[in-house]
Amino acid sequence: MKKLNDDQLNELQKDLDAIRDEVLADLGERDANYIRKIIRLHRTLEIGGRVMMPFGFIPPVFVAATASLGIAKILENMEIGHNVMHGQYDWMNDPSLNSQTYEWDTACSSESWRRTHNYEHHTYTNIIGKDRDYGYAVLRLSDDERWKPWHSLQFINYVLLSTLFQWGVGLHELETEKLTRREIRLRDKIPFLKDFARKGGRQAFKDYVFFPLLTLPVAPIVLAGNVGANLIRNLWASTVIFCGHFTQDAETFSEEECEGESKGHWYLRQLTGSSNFTGGKWLHVLSGHLSYQVEHHVFPDLPAHRYPEISEKVQAVCKKHDIPYNTGTFAKQYGTVLSRIARYSLPDALRTRLEGKRELQAI
Amino acid sequence: MLARISNTKAFHWLGRQLMNRDNPAAWLDPLTETLNPMWVQEYTPARVERIIAETGDTKTFVLTPAKRWTGFQAGQHVNICTDVNGVRRTRTFSLSSSPLLWELQGQITLTIKRLPGGLVTNWMHDSLEEGDVIGLTEAFGDFQIPQPAKPALYIAGGSGITPILSQLETMAAENYRASVALLYFVRTQDDVIAREALTALAARWPALSLTIIATHEGKEPRYLKDSDLTPVTGLQVREVYLCGPKGLMDLASDLLNQRGVKEQQIHSTFFAPPAQAQLDGAQLGGEVTFTTSNLMVGSEGDANLLDIAEAAGLKPQHGCRMGICHQCSCRKTSGTVVNRLTGKVSGPGEETVQLCVSVPQGPVVLDV
Repeated sequence: MKKLNDDQLNELQKDLDAIRDEVLADLGERDANYIRKIIRLHRTLEIGGRVMMPFGFIPPVFVAATASLGIAKILENMEIGHNVMHGQYDWMNDPSLNSQTYEWDTACSSESWRRTHNYEHHTYTNIIGKDRDYGYAVLRLSDDERWKPWHSLQFINYVLLSTLFQWGVGLHELETEKLTRREIRLRDKIPFLKDFARKGGRQAFKDYVFFPLLTLPVAPIVLAGNVGANLIRNLWASTVIFCGHFTQDAETFSEEECEGESKGHWYLRQLTGSSNFTGGKWLHVLSGHLSYQVEHHVFPDLPAHRYPEISEKVQAVCKKHDIPYNTGTFAKQYGTVLSRIARYSLPDALRTRLEGKRELQAI
Repeated sequence: MLARISNTKAFHWLGRQLMNRDNPAAWLDPLTETLNPMWVQEYTPARVERIIAETGDTKTFVLTPAKRWTGFQAGQHVNICTDVNGVRRTRTFSLSSSPLLWELQGQITLTIKRLPGGLVTNWMHDSLEEGDVIGLTEAFGDFQIPQPAKPALYIAGGSGITPILSQLETMAAENYRASVALLYFVRTQDDVIAREALTALAARWPALSLTIIATHEGKEPRYLKDSDLTPVTGLQVREVYLCGPKGLMDLASDLLNQRGVKEQQIHSTFFAPPAQAQLDGAQLGGEVTFTTSNLMVGSEGDANLLDIAEAAGLKPQHGCRMGICHQCSCRKTSGTVVNRLTGKVSGPGEETVQLCVSVPQGPVVLDV
């Protein structure tokens, strides 16, 4: 990790705080109009998808309905739900956009998400052992974790996690790895499991029972379309999130180096532990602007559509302090994620030999 | 029919399952709002029918609330909500019309004075137009006409006349059987709100005796004095209603006490303009009320709300304790707080605050 002394960290904090203050002072109608426009688009796509779905016996309609519902779920989860729950729109004082009461369209309950994501992941980002989002306890992505034989099959785990992403995220707080290590007891998790059953049950009821039964004669088609829409969202959300922290150069940290850290050090960790990807306007919207993961991690509670606007300033701060700013095309960044999953599935001896050979070839 | 179905418990349950929210009917609001703002479900929408200039700095807004609004009693208030520069603002105002206007014509009026520096009142005066829609809550407040009829004395100052207008209109229409006196204090004769309505009332309803006193027309200010109470017959048996600036209400209470009017006969109501908050270390701290926990504790200096709550034995949800994760965000129902990160001072009304970085400035009430 890039080392800065206390003065430099203070300077970094001041520089980033200045960017943040400038945006905060400018928040207003433009931001309110933006999020309401996205919400209107979401409502339109969801209604469109649900209405078209029963006519899915016509193949192009099936594709349109599934895509419409899938994109609606993506927008709701990523650009609306995730960002609202970060408190990005709390300043609007609109009870339906309140970070603490918003409930989103996915199996994970908002309560659980706010604990595991907003608090654990955003406070302890990429600290091995404290940020449970790092590899989601099913993937080995750095040599901080000792290789075990089952890691060699972790690519299968990755595909399964992506496919069933909403259920994986929903069960994240169960902390299965701590249960198997007997650090915690299952009975401590009963309140969580009840909460999960309630929210997960509600989601399954809606997409897999209620809407199919509502249009009984074509129930299988509606069921298939709804499964498809959830699958589209699962794959996309997982891909975007993996590109945010598991790319080639995204750094990891140890608990020792972060003990009693300053705000400046926290900023430094967010800058070096996250990675962006580039693309067109709608790629950013559909990723909930997590394509600007660096900006998001530095300023998690600024409205996300502001990230593209402040990106240049953040890059200038990085340049000034000689901190790497990790970005690249979507394809390139995702490529490095896949290669990271593959490389760390190998025993260290084999991995370093292969990596050494590749470096030699590069020279 | 549809309304009846949509009010049933089962329908509401289903809505919660499908929309993931406690008020499923409001799920469509963002779309319907653009078609017709009167269809909004999240709050009761009210259309501005007419705007009447009362004085140089006071306007009366005639509103038509959506039919589901449940009405009010004379002397009660409502909260209105409206978005000003993207931020939803809630403010309390007294209804100035009689409930009869609502019952007969489906309309209500709010008479609102422009407060110097006031965000919402100035916005209403400058930007709100006929045809616009604002949000309304149900009416509340216990400033009510005595039942059965008793002699009454009203002492009003400035825009404090508004709930009294509503009561007088109602009493006149019901042919209230006891004598009613009104002492109305204004800065100058130009500042009399609803002068025509008041004179018309006094003319057609003999029980009302109306006295208007200008305080700032002479060289010396002319405030309420003991001799103003002399013409009010049978003062000791009257129910007294005070509504106006704090100075007037304090003065009136003292004079009434001296004349032997009992505390329980005196009723007062008013919404003071927001106090000008200053970023002064000595002014930080204050009484914090946690309504859900039914607890009240004092605080001093720059202790934040989260620390204060925890010191009081509460365990509010929290996370990073550095203003990042919003785990500790909760509703503040009244009071002013300073954000220790930005130094920004909050508004006095209901809003969401981050406990871990909010320092009270005077008394604060929280939904915790």
